[in-house]
Amino acid sequence: MAVCVAVIAKENYPLYIRSVPTENELKFHYMVHTSLDVVDEKISAMGKALVDQRELYLGLLYPTEDYKVYGYVTNSKVKFVMVVDSSNTALRDNEIRSMFRKLHNSYTDVMCNPFYNPGDRIQSRAFDSMVTSMMIQVC
Amino acid sequence: MAQCVQSVQELIPDSFVPCVAALCSDDAERLTRLNHLSFAELLKPFTRLTSEVHMRDPNNQLHIIKNLKIAVSNIITQPPQPGAIRKLLSDVVSGSQPADGLVANVITAGDYDLNISDRSIKASVPWYSNWKDTLMEMKESSLNTATTPWFESYRETFLQSMPASDHEFLNHYLACMLVASSSEAEPMEQFGKLSQEQHRIQHNNDYSYPKWFIPNTLKYYVLLHDVSAGDEQRAESIYEEMKQKYGTQGCYLLKINSRTSNQASDEQIPDPWSQYLQKNSIQNQESYEDGPCTISSNKNSDSNLLSLDGLDNEVKVDGLPNNFRAHPLQLDSSSDPSNNIDGPDHVKSASSLHETKKANPGIIHGACLTLTDHDRIRQFVQEFTFRGLLPHIEKTIRQLNDQLISRKGLSRSLFSATKKWFSGSKVPEKSINELKNTSGLLYPPEAPELQIRKMADLCFLVQHYDLAYSCYHTAKKDFLNDQAMLYAAGALEMAAVSAFLQQGAARPYPAHYMDTAIQTYRDICKNMILAERCVLLSAEILKSQSKYSEAAALLIRLTSEDSDLRSALLLEQAAHCFINMKSPMVRKYAFHMILAGHRFSKAGQKKHALRCYCQAMQVYKGKGWSLAEDHINFTIGRQSYTLRQLDNAVSAFRHILINESKQSAAQQGSFLREYLYVYKNVSQLSPDGPLPQLPLPYINSSATRVFFGHDRRPADGEKQAATHVSLDQEYDNESSQQWRELEEQVVALVNKGVIPPNFHPTQYCLNSFSDNSRFPLAVVEEPITVEVAFRNPLKVPLLLTNLSLLWKFQPKDCSGKNDEEVKELVFFIHFPTGLLCGEIRKAYVEFVNVSKCPLTGLKVVCKRPEFFTFGGNTTALTPLSPSASENCSAYKTVVTESTSVCTALTSSASSVDFGIGIGSQPEVIPVPLPDTVLLPGASVQLPLWLRGPDEEGVHEINFLFYYESVKKLPKIRHRILRHTAVICTSRSLNARATVCRSNSLEDEEGRGGNMLVFVDVENINTSEAGVKEFHIVQVSSSSKHWKLQKSVNLSENKDAKLGSREKGKFCFKAIRCKEKEVATQSSEDYTFADIIFGNEQIISSASPCADFFYRSLSSELKKAQPSAHTEKQSVEDAVRLIQKCSEVDLNVVILWKAYVVEDSKQLILEGQHHVILHTVGKEAYSSPQKQEPPEMEPLKFFRPENTAVSSRPSVEQLSSLIKTSLHYPESLNHPFHQKSLCLVPVTLLLSNCSKADVDVIVDLRHKTTSPESLEIHGSFTWLGQTQYKLQLKSEEIHSLQLKACFVHTGVYNLGTPRVFAKLSDQVTVFETSQQNSMPALIIINNV
Repeated sequence: MAVCVAVIAKENYPLYIRSVPTENELKFHYMVHTSLDVVDEKISAMGKALVDQRELYLGLLYPTEDYKVYGYVTNSKVKFVMVVDSSNTALRDNEIRSMFRKLHNSYTDVMCNPFYNPGDRIQSRAFDSMVTSMMIQVC
Repeated sequence: MAQCVQSVQELIPDSFVPCVAALCSDDAERLTRLNHLSFAELLKPFTRLTSEVHMRDPNNQLHIIKNLKIAVSNIITQPPQPGAIRKLLSDVVSGSQPADGLVANVITAGDYDLNISDRSIKASVPWYSNWKDTLMEMKESSLNTATTPWFESYRETFLQSMPASDHEFLNHYLACMLVASSSEAEPMEQFGKLSQEQHRIQHNNDYSYPKWFIPNTLKYYVLLHDVSAGDEQRAESIYEEMKQKYGTQGCYLLKINSRTSNQASDEQIPDPWSQYLQKNSIQNQESYEDGPCTISSNKNSDSNLLSLDGLDNEVKVDGLPNNFRAHPLQLDSSSDPSNNIDGPDHVKSASSLHETKKANPGIIHGACLTLTDHDRIRQFVQEFTFRGLLPHIEKTIRQLNDQLISRKGLSRSLFSATKKWFSGSKVPEKSINELKNTSGLLYPPEAPELQIRKMADLCFLVQHYDLAYSCYHTAKKDFLNDQAMLYAAGALEMAAVSAFLQQGAARPYPAHYMDTAIQTYRDICKNMILAERCVLLSAEILKSQSKYSEAAALLIRLTSEDSDLRSALLLEQAAHCFINMKSPMVRKYAFHMILAGHRFSKAGQKKHALRCYCQAMQVYKGKGWSLAEDHINFTIGRQSYTLRQLDNAVSAFRHILINESKQSAAQQGSFLREYLYVYKNVSQLSPDGPLPQLPLPYINSSATRVFFGHDRRPADGEKQAATHVSLDQEYDNESSQQWRELEEQVVALVNKGVIPPNFHPTQYCLNSFSDNSRFPLAVVEEPITVEVAFRNPLKVPLLLTNLSLLWKFQPKDCSGKNDEEVKELVFFIHFPTGLLCGEIRKAYVEFVNVSKCPLTGLKVVCKRPEFFTFGGNTTALTPLSPSASENCSAYKTVVTESTSVCTALTSSASSVDFGIGIGSQPEVIPVPLPDTVLLPGASVQLPLWLRGPDEEGVHEINFLFYYESVKKLPKIRHRILRHTAVICTSRSLNARATVCRSNSLEDEEGRGGNMLVFVDVENINTSEAGVKEFHIVQVSSSSKHWKLQKSVNLSENKDAKLGSREKGKFCFKAIRCKEKEVATQSSEDYTFADIIFGNEQIISSASPCADFFYRSLSSELKKAQPSAHTEKQSVEDAVRLIQKCSEVDLNVVILWKAYVVEDSKQLILEGQHHVILHTVGKEAYSSPQKQEPPEMEPLKFFRPENTAVSSRPSVEQLSSLIKTSLHYPESLNHPFHQKSLCLVPVTLLLSNCSKADVDVIVDLRHKTTSPESLEIHGSFTWLGQTQYKLQLKSEEIHSLQLKACFVHTGVYNLGTPRVFAKLSDQVTVFETSQQNSMPALIIINNV
């Protein structure tokens, strides 16, 4: 379902980024990077008062011709960005939302690893296989 | 969208100005050509009116026009070709580049500082000089002041080159200037011809181009007069005639060329044309690249690039009296067919125009014009506008208005009904099917529906936006009703613009009008040019209202595949929009810059592409998006390379390589190849240039080491060179500190105990840890080695070839004496690597002087002097050749008769002879060279005895050899050579010894000078070393006061064999040396006594036995010293006295042989152990006892009591103050039946061990504290006095006669007397019970 999954640190550098191998990886890097502007915009638009109760799921960040980019921000301002194929109409908001939740849980597991240094690139095998499962499910 | 120099309120009116055609006679054109200008060009700088103009609108209201501008252009009968326009636009864009070296324009957006190079900031802001202010200002205003002049040029050119279209009238000609010269033969006739020509062009159906606003175009007659050449009278008279004919409002006499061009210009005339002619080339462009020619030009342009000055192409006179044949346009219009066919020539002129423009940038325009002439031209334009053009427009508006009002009278329904009836007539005569298909209905040029549009356009041109808006609005409705989509879109577009430009903003800007218009243009009419114009206008308007997001969306929507240049420019503007947003979207900016760069590159605008990528780079740089960063760098590298900016290309590629690349190996490989290719190009360009910095491999500069001197020589057979310093050694702070200390020690010794202030330890290796602030000293002809650490961060291998070190020698007060520096090599022969603890091995050391200068003062420093010796002074130097020493004992031995086995053989030696005690530096050992100097090339071999250290394990022993040149050199006073010996020792024997006083009184002198020495020797070898057994061959004593006298109990085997884990006990009797012997000896003399268990005596007082003994003694003393210091100074004399009496200075040397099987060969190893005895009754060990690591104590959280060291001597010490011994018969037969009491005389011998007087109390009463002791003692009684009080003088022996009385037979312990002692001059403080002597048993038998 997803063609690219990225975890972006609070400081906006990639902690993890993976895309389906059939596609040009660079394209997704650009896409994810550009989407951060929209994430920032959405966060700042929410206003301070609502920050606490805000929903982590940001919804559709922007559509391109071939893809849709979705965003999700944890309370610690770590961003999850997911790119899905526009042609995949089976994916609805709810599915995307649950995928993000799964991603978040797995990310939390990574953070709980005492040997993981927060801010390092994520190299967890469990996380990787979870992302793989999210990518394969489509086909 | 970037900021523009022009505001949008200026931009739009300037984009739509009244158009005026100019038709010149041949002569008139020639007059203006003198200034290298056409007539239209001549007017160009003066076409903006400097004053306000008034006119009346249809309602007779006064309307003020400000800043009106008109456009005058030559008549061209063909619409501009799309290809030509594309080329022109492309040239305009590539011609406009950001200037280099201007102050950076930094935009701070979030955590990004973006640097956008900018040229206009300089011109537009007066506070430019203060850069910081600029930055501040920019931050405050949060406005992007970056401009993109290439875009503005593009836009201006694009708008100017818009071909006139049928659905709008804005750029249709309103008027025509007919220009003739005063020098014509028949000027009035010429005017007539021109007028006819104009009429023909406008109304003849042959020409669909240019477009004219209304059928009756305003004609304005201009008589050009050359002041310097022409006849002014004549001109005036012609002008009068003109006024007669055309009216004063319709003609003008323009006087120009007040000076001849060859006249030296004494006044500096500004050239107002230069800034226009660069841009207005479109006019010429159009004129030369006209229709029929372009077709042929496509075919022939390559072959016809003859240089022909386009400005002088009137050469081609076709014979007809055509006044304006200079223009291709006119050539077309002329009836001569030859001209029409004459295509290639036009191409020549067309293409050559460009070349001349490029080739002659130095052409001075207006060379014949004075400032007065400028004023005249300005005056002329004003006059034309005020008197000619504006009244004409006013009149036309009125007419149109009247028509509209009359039409309004018709009912709407009727109007639409009429439309239906006449719908056929609405189809234009030249019906173009595709046009109709795409944009719906087409009107004929003079259709009534278009009149309102005409009126709107006129109002718009004269800035009457209110009226224009309402007209456009009405027109829009009409057109939509008719489904005339193209017309509707045009009306919508202009309605929106007029609404925006209305004063006071009566209504909000109807952006949706624009959106509909754009959509219509693009999707229905398929007219991208109109759509683009619409987008450009709308985006600019939106931008002025800070609706950046909408503007960006608009711009992005128009990017398409059909034009890369347009897409690139629009994307770039969109990027600028993103960064200008309230919360700047930096990443979107960067992404769109990359897209723009990509399109620029496809459009062939390499410089712009590079710039875009560079600007995007700022956002991606160093933010962890390495894949994107690499891609950008790669593109920058490629673009730079194609632009021949090789340095930039190299550095961009370099970034990819050094950036901790996360790319795949294959990708890295291709990056590397690309880099090397570009790099090779650069290096070929400038082979003599400075050496470039290669990015790979990384040089770990902090790991660089510089090494002075030869590298270590490999072992040569038995010879093994001193390890010295080599690059293989890792830096170790501890060891370098050790070497430093060693050198300091030897230097201090040489300099009589003080280290010279300018002393610096010799450095052989400079690294990141060493002190590199001083210039290192190197010796001539000795190599200097530099070690550089490389690292390859890539996944592909790097092949390094032709590496060479670049270096430069700068002589600095080089005295040239350094070549006399000495150099020595040290070799070791038979140097072992493994030893048993305590083993003695003989090796040889060879010193070779390899310099040309004799060396002297050879010394060796070592922290472990007990490890080796060169032999003492007493030994005759017998440097046997090393080979002869095989299987030879290291010791000096003498064969003895077996009879003297148990008695000691004594000898004596002084420690001075063995180099001990000559100073406080036992570590510094002078090397006994045969004659203190080692001559050049000479070599000396010296024997070297080694003794395995007492601790098992691996020992690293550092030797520092010190030597000097015979000549004292100021810089290098000495040189050093290092050697690290690594010795592995394995366990051998462990000896333990105690000494105790003998109770016997056998000493002839009766003084308590006898002692018993117990020596336990244990074989603790684990037989890993293949040791079969140890033989104790000799035990020697060495002391100043004592000597071993004899062995007390001799076991059966004389050799005292010790198998694995066996223990042997020895007991020796030691006596004091004879007083006289002691007296004759100096205080440093030791008496050696050897007790031999074999048949060979090892002379222990000779080398090497004594050497090692002394060395271990001194190292033992050194260890003991610190503990002595900790004792309180306040220890009283008395205590010392008491302590002294238990002190003894007996040292035992155990010499042994070990039988070792190694490689099925039996070897005999020798060795010695030392036990140093200090205290009576205390055990001493040959090797330091391993301390059991103390059990982890539970932590205690209280302050330890201040356990002040009591100044009291220990009980043990006090108890040895008095030595007691009982003398009595061991067994006694007593006839108890005869005499019931048995009286036994017992002598109690009290000897004072101290040097002070001692009060002694002897108490004979039985202690009754413990009942058991009573039982053991049995019952006997001391008779007589039960307590004695005595005073014993120093070392006095006193015997006390006692009597014991027994009543039964039995075994009794007589040792019950308790002795208390105290120093006489002390109070009772020290009174203590003296040591309980051993049980003194007596046997009483009954006879």
